[in-house]
Amino acid sequence: MLKREVAKRLFAKEFEAARPLEPQLFEAFPSFFGKTSDLSLAAGKRDSKAPNFLISPFGLLINRVFVVGVLTEVDKVGEQNDLWKARVVDPTGAFTVYAGQFQPEASIFFLTVEAPVFVALSGKARVYEPEKGSVFVSIRAEEVNVVDEALRNRWVVDCTALTLERFEAFSEALLSDFSGLKLSEYLQKNGVSPELAAGISLALARDWEGKLGTREGLDAFLSQLGKVIKEGLSSLDLDSDEKAGADFKAFALELLKELGGGKGVEYAKFLEVAVSKGISEELLDEALRSLLSDGLCYEPRIGVIRPVL
Amino acid sequence: MDEKSAPHLEELTRALGNLDAAKLRAEFEKLLAFRVPPEVAKQSLLRKFGGGLQSQKKKLKVKDLAPNLKNFEIVGRILELSEKTLRPVEKASKKSSSTLYTGVLADETGAVPFSSWQKLPVQVGAVLDIKPASTRVWKNRVRLSIKEHSSLSSLPDEVLPSFEELAKSTPKKLKEISALDLLVSGKAAVLKLFRREVFARGQKTFVLSGVLADETARLPFTSWIELPGVDIGCTIRFEAASVRMFRGVPSLEFLGKVRVSLLKEAELEKLAFSFEAVNKEPAPLKMREFETRGGLFDVVTSGNVLSVRPGSGVISRCPKCGRVVQKGNCRLHGKVQGVQDMRIKAILDDGTGTVSVMFNRELSEQIYGKSLEEAEALMYSDISKDAVFEDLRRILTGRVLLIRGNASKTEYGVSFVAEKVWVPEADLAVRAVELLRRLDSLEAAKASRNSLNSKKSEKEAGVKEFA
Repeated sequence: MLKREVAKRLFAKEFEAARPLEPQLFEAFPSFFGKTSDLSLAAGKRDSKAPNFLISPFGLLINRVFVVGVLTEVDKVGEQNDLWKARVVDPTGAFTVYAGQFQPEASIFFLTVEAPVFVALSGKARVYEPEKGSVFVSIRAEEVNVVDEALRNRWVVDCTALTLERFEAFSEALLSDFSGLKLSEYLQKNGVSPELAAGISLALARDWEGKLGTREGLDAFLSQLGKVIKEGLSSLDLDSDEKAGADFKAFALELLKELGGGKGVEYAKFLEVAVSKGISEELLDEALRSLLSDGLCYEPRIGVIRPVL
Repeated sequence: MDEKSAPHLEELTRALGNLDAAKLRAEFEKLLAFRVPPEVAKQSLLRKFGGGLQSQKKKLKVKDLAPNLKNFEIVGRILELSEKTLRPVEKASKKSSSTLYTGVLADETGAVPFSSWQKLPVQVGAVLDIKPASTRVWKNRVRLSIKEHSSLSSLPDEVLPSFEELAKSTPKKLKEISALDLLVSGKAAVLKLFRREVFARGQKTFVLSGVLADETARLPFTSWIELPGVDIGCTIRFEAASVRMFRGVPSLEFLGKVRVSLLKEAELEKLAFSFEAVNKEPAPLKMREFETRGGLFDVVTSGNVLSVRPGSGVISRCPKCGRVVQKGNCRLHGKVQGVQDMRIKAILDDGTGTVSVMFNRELSEQIYGKSLEEAEALMYSDISKDAVFEDLRRILTGRVLLIRGNASKTEYGVSFVAEKVWVPEADLAVRAVELLRRLDSLEAAKASRNSLNSKKSEKEAGVKEFA
């Protein structure tokens, strides 16, 4: 069994700019990775089980990713109409997500979900290059779930922290005059993790198309992305934890009145309707408990909820 | 022996010059008698005696030793040596060597326990050159084994540091203690202490168990000797404590030769930690720390639930051994009436590393929000047998959890047994402010650098113009 790949956190804009990590790059720097590293295994063997890696312009090695964002649209594509294509939006842009017959769980999710909604999604990074010069980077979904705004906010903060760590190391690399193995050693000496140090050295050794081809271009891209992240982070409603709870409470009360009026409604039915509207059972349960304790509704019989009118 | 096989034997004798030619011949002929082709017989003997015509023997240091290495040379000083007479399984057994020699071998990189089937030509304290040696795993740690055919030779005393230096148990922080250590010294506060009854060699005895901590880590310990005056809250100095490995986590063992003493007031003030400071909840670690360090005892980490693994939910356990019952059968006890239990196996990931976490029933009920009985009700109310599993996935996937427990590294990655679980506090606003500040300073540093660069290039341009 192979070791599970770490799910990397990065924003859509950096992800879009990622490109396949060519095996030649590994061959150029054979001693970058330790003897037990999965990465060197991937480079050495290149068999079907070896993981594929993408590399971002700032040196993040990507195989699996984890994203929390807003699912904005879901489409059925593919020749047999058996492929789902979705977009998940973060503060910098959108991830394109695919799920096909070999991702049955994700496919069922996309079949039943109603956009827009906050989702958490993990999957493998893929590259599609129909012709030279046009590259599409996407995620092949593994697991998807509906989540709340608080979790999205936490992802943005966590992702910013990890991205910033990378930016700081990358800026340090640009400042130094080293390259290749020397650069990797230099970065590690300055507290950068071995994988990122190697990634940054590989990224700088790689030929990037277009504007990213020069150090100035990379530097400008970093500034631009930094600015977008800053805006995204500032615009988060970080107190929304409580507010979201209040929203759910209001929603639950409204729904109770609508369904049962003065007679009350069976809990199971209430749950069914609410879940069909895209609210998780857990959140609803919490809202209901809070309503009960506030005295806004009561349980005349077990399993029946009646709002106080 | 015919002409065909003679050259092979000659080659063998040349390659394995250090071995007795007659013995080699006997082994070779034994294989030929079994109709093993001479070519193959030669190879298998080479493998057995570790020559290897093409592969040069490796010379290893103690720190390089890993489980199941073969055919390497190692030089070390013997720190301990004892012999054990083993009862022969059959009296008729012609095997003469029923004595096992065990001890500890050390070089400047570490110490390793060894066992030998042949009598060592040297005494404790001497420097010994062993070729070939091999390693295996015994009691969760690497052990050097010396075979009957290994050649042992004594080397001059000055090739390694002195006995005193090697035997000295090095003072270490708890975090630095690993499987490479046999004896360690250090200072630590006693966080937990309890007396427990154990059976050792058929006798009932009491041992003291507990948890030690300094500013770097916590470690479990067991003492086979009484520790007068030591109690929870004390800070102690220990010298020559043994290191054991259990489930990939090191633990300290106080045996006969250990020296334990209480630290005095004056010494306490000089320490980098105090009981009060280390008795708090440990600070969360990034998961990449787990990759580089073997086993970690009592640590905290947090991450997103990326996946709830199959096998989570309501399970049935064998009443005798606790193993999971599958299709009404226990792996060991056959058909049994299982006891219902609940557990969750989940993958947690923080972007720097990934761990596979096991939650017991109590913790599972806590994060799932449903009791075992409620889960069972759900299981029976649904036609799909995966109802609970699907429900768990819907509730947990994506969520952030903080976990506290023990981590150990296995060949499949890091596995973590949770002892406590909770959700993170609302700290996002504070963290966001800090991140915004760092984003600003990154930009500011760049701006000043760019202006410097542009000035420099202006200057250069100016110089050119001037020229």
